[in-house]
Amino acid sequence: MNEASKGAGSVVYEAHGLKKNYDGGQVAALRGVDFDIREGEFVAIVGPSGCGKSTLLQMLGSLDKPSEGSLSYRGRLISALEDPSDYRSTEIGFVFQSFHLLPTFTVSENVQIPMFETGLSRGEREVRAHELLVSVGLSHRLKHFPSELSGGERQRVAIARSLANRPSVLLADEPTGNLDSENAAHVVELLLKLHQELGMTLVLVTHDLGIAALATRTIRMKDGRVVNESTPLTHAS
Amino acid sequence: MTFFTVVVRGLIRRPVRTGLTLLGISIGIGAVVTLVGMSWGYEKSIGKQLDVIGIDVVVSNMSGGLMPKVFDETLQDKVAALPKVADTTTVLMLMLSIEDAPMMMVSGREWGGFTWEKLEVLEGRLPKDDKEFAVVLGKLAAEVLKKKVGDTVQIEADELPVVGIVDGHAVVENGAVILSLSVLQEISSNQGKVNFVDVRVPEGTPEKEVMELCETVNGLFPEGRAKLASEVVGTSQGYRLARAMSWSTSLLAIIVGVLGVMNTMLMTVFERTHEIGILLAVGWKRRRILYMVLCESALLGFLGGVTGVGLGALGLKILEVTPAIRGLLEPDLSPKLLLTSVAIAVVVGVVSGLYPGWRSSRLSPSRALNL
Ligand SMILES: Nc1ncnc2c1ncn2[C@@H]1O[C@H](COP(=O)(O)OP(=O)(O)O)[C@@H](O)[C@H]1O
Ligand SMILES: [Mg+2]
Repeated sequence: MNEASKGAGSVVYEAHGLKKNYDGGQVAALRGVDFDIREGEFVAIVGPSGCGKSTLLQMLGSLDKPSEGSLSYRGRLISALEDPSDYRSTEIGFVFQSFHLLPTFTVSENVQIPMFETGLSRGEREVRAHELLVSVGLSHRLKHFPSELSGGERQRVAIARSLANRPSVLLADEPTGNLDSENAAHVVELLLKLHQELGMTLVLVTHDLGIAALATRTIRMKDGRVVNESTPLTHAS
Repeated sequence: MTFFTVVVRGLIRRPVRTGLTLLGISIGIGAVVTLVGMSWGYEKSIGKQLDVIGIDVVVSNMSGGLMPKVFDETLQDKVAALPKVADTTTVLMLMLSIEDAPMMMVSGREWGGFTWEKLEVLEGRLPKDDKEFAVVLGKLAAEVLKKKVGDTVQIEADELPVVGIVDGHAVVENGAVILSLSVLQEISSNQGKVNFVDVRVPEGTPEKEVMELCETVNGLFPEGRAKLASEVVGTSQGYRLARAMSWSTSLLAIIVGVLGVMNTMLMTVFERTHEIGILLAVGWKRRRILYMVLCESALLGFLGGVTGVGLGALGLKILEVTPAIRGLLEPDLSPKLLLTSVAIAVVVGVVSGLYPGWRSSRLSPSRALNL
């Protein structure tokens, strides 16, 4: 645990007894999870495959609702939000392992998609998308379609899209899982820059211990539970 | 990129399916335009004819088929004796097949009656007297039958010479074969029978009194009815039939259209579950997803409606010059009909998009993304 960062920021996420069951209770993906995440932290979530990391990240991104327990974001209970779309569009950016870009839209258009909910004009959307794509090093790809890009480039488009509405939190679920090591390094470098230069809170699920080592704190999971954060990794997995 | 771009992108990603749906809607709307246009046109032509001739009240027995049943012509004298009747005349109107034309209006008019007044002789002359075995042709009828002055036309078993071509200033008049009442009664074996008594009231008679006159006539003539000229159109059997048929066919076309668009939109939405999951995950509101699907289906409806109106207009033009129909009616291609049809198509689109749109807006993003 990194005491400095934990003490530094205000609480962004606070989870109590978070549970998630699938298939009518047959699968318990989260079995009661408690944690908090503070402003400006870079938290790596690690653990064996199937231990509930993605499920936890989906709860944080409000892509699904917990079955039990409470999850709050800056003091607001997001586990009970009737319509989480505002939270999704402006508070957080979500980066997926498999990119999830829209195939019939160009790179620039993909980055503009989230901006429809924020009242920017057409011109402002285009300018903002351009800026974001410059910042991820893809200014030469604006008019290309996702199918014309490499995996690493696609993930950088997805990162640009996640930043569209200037969120303060970035949630990334194995963002390098589908990339070769060179592209993975590039994407990690980009995420790290966002954390360090913009002070974004970064929650990242990864298998890669090298990436986890860059984090300010690591949450280890096993069988749907958070195992003691100080437990050595070899015992957890 | 605008929201409209997103909507259009949704439609053009499956060009063949979108094209087929458009074709379906346009055929449906084309049918609506053609049928309703014919029915409105029929109404307009009859109304215009009565107006041109100056008929205020029509006495007839509309319970028959396309044409009213015949009755004894002595009714005319009883009607003429009533107060508030300025003038009366009798007509025997038959729908007959004449030479190559399957249906022609043949109008036998009481000699000297006011129904002859408005006929403008373009060529030749009118019959000499009520006994002359001769016809005049409305200018459209002359074209359809390909006859000129000096030719003969065969009506039932008789050959009658064409002595004149006339302009009656209404399409129904111009599409008719016109002759003396007594001659038509004789060749159609309807001696002493007519099926219309046309009545003129003194100029400026209030409508209330005209209606009272109709009541009185109805007392004299229980099996038939006297009607204001303005009412005749809506109550004629032929017109009612045409209207019922055009609206029921239109309704069918609309239902087929709704099912077609709904099917397309449902397929689109199922196929795009994943994309809709992405849109939800990046923060699109459910309302916006619903709106996107509705806009897509409304756009489908609109485009189908516009092409359909084009098809319908073409259909009406073709019918207008079809010999079998020529001169019987004047298709109505009014802006009102065209706009109504496009509006119907848009409504069809929106209605068909409601269910698919609602379904897709209810998706759970994590489920849709198969996370
Ligand atoms: N939509 C789902 N339906 C049923 N079971 C699921 C679903 N999502 C995840 N699971 C199950 O929940 C457990 C945790 O999954 P996940 O959070 O994806 O693990 P991780 O990301 O750590 O590999 C697994 O056993 C997985 O099979
Ligand atoms: Mg996972």
